[in-house]
Amino acid sequence: MAIAVFFVAAILAVLGGLGVVVFHQPIRSVLSLVVVMLSLSVIFLLLSAQFVFAVQIIVYAGAVMVLFLFVIALLGPARELGRGRLRFQGWLSVLFVVALLGLMWALLQGVQYRSPEKADLSFFGTVQSIAVGLFTTFLYPFELTSILLLVAAIGAIYLSRKRIDIDDET
Amino acid sequence: MSTLNIGGEQLDASWFLLLSAILFVLGAVGVLVRRNPLVILISIELMLNAANLALVAFSRQLLNIEGQLFALMSMTVAAAEAVVGLAILVDIFRVRDVEDIDDLSELRG
Repeated sequence: MAIAVFFVAAILAVLGGLGVVVFHQPIRSVLSLVVVMLSLSVIFLLLSAQFVFAVQIIVYAGAVMVLFLFVIALLGPARELGRGRLRFQGWLSVLFVVALLGLMWALLQGVQYRSPEKADLSFFGTVQSIAVGLFTTFLYPFELTSILLLVAAIGAIYLSRKRIDIDDET
Repeated sequence: MSTLNIGGEQLDASWFLLLSAILFVLGAVGVLVRRNPLVILISIELMLNAANLALVAFSRQLLNIEGQLFALMSMTVAAAEAVVGLAILVDIFRVRDVEDIDDLSELRG
C-alpha cells in the first residue's frame, strides 16, 4: 500500500513539475505547482512528518499559491512570446540541467547512509516533537525567523506604497 | 542502500532523493528556459519544495527531527521570498508591461 501511494504521488508530482515548465499561461503553471505541493504533502505523510504535511498544505498550497493567483489576476493574462535574444540558450540550458541530473543520480549511488538513531516512530514528527526541538535547541534561529518575516512584510509594504510625486509638492 | 519501513513495507530512501532531484532539475529548467518573470518565481518555489523533500527524507532515514525543523525554516524563507518577489514584480508591472525577463536586464525603471 505504501509503495503504491508513493508511486502515485511521485508520478503526480513529476507531471505537475513538467506542467510548471511546459504551460504557456502562468495561471496553469501555478495550478500545476499546487498539484506538486499536494502530492509532496502526501509523501511527507509517508515519511512520518505529520506537522510538515499540515504546514505544507496550509502555508504553501493555501497561502503562497493564493498570493501567486492574486498577482496573476491583478496583472492580467500575460502570454509568453517564446522568442529570446539568445535562441540557443534554451537547448543549452536543458543540456546542462540534464547533466546536473545525471551527476546527482551518480552521487545517489554512492551515498553512505548512517544507521538511524533510536527514536519512537509513534512520537517522531508529531507537533509535540517538533515543538520540543523548536523551543529548546533551535530557539534562537526560530526567534530570528520572526525578524525575517517582519523585514519581508515591511519591504512588501514599502514596495507597494502609493507613489507621491515630489515635483507636485514643491 | 537504506530501506525505510513504512506501514510494514520496505521503501528505499534513495527513491525519495531521486524524486527530489527530478523536481529540482525541473525547477532549474523553468528558471533557465521560461521568459515570464512570474513563472521564474514559480519555478524557484518548485526548487525549494524539492529541497524540502530531501531534508524530510533524510530526517526520516536518520530518525532525527532536525531535518524537519530545517524544512519548516526553509518554508518560512520561501514565503518571505515570494512576498518580496511578487511585490517587486507588481511594482515593475505598474510602470510598464514586461513580457520578457530580458526587458529587465538594465535594472532601471
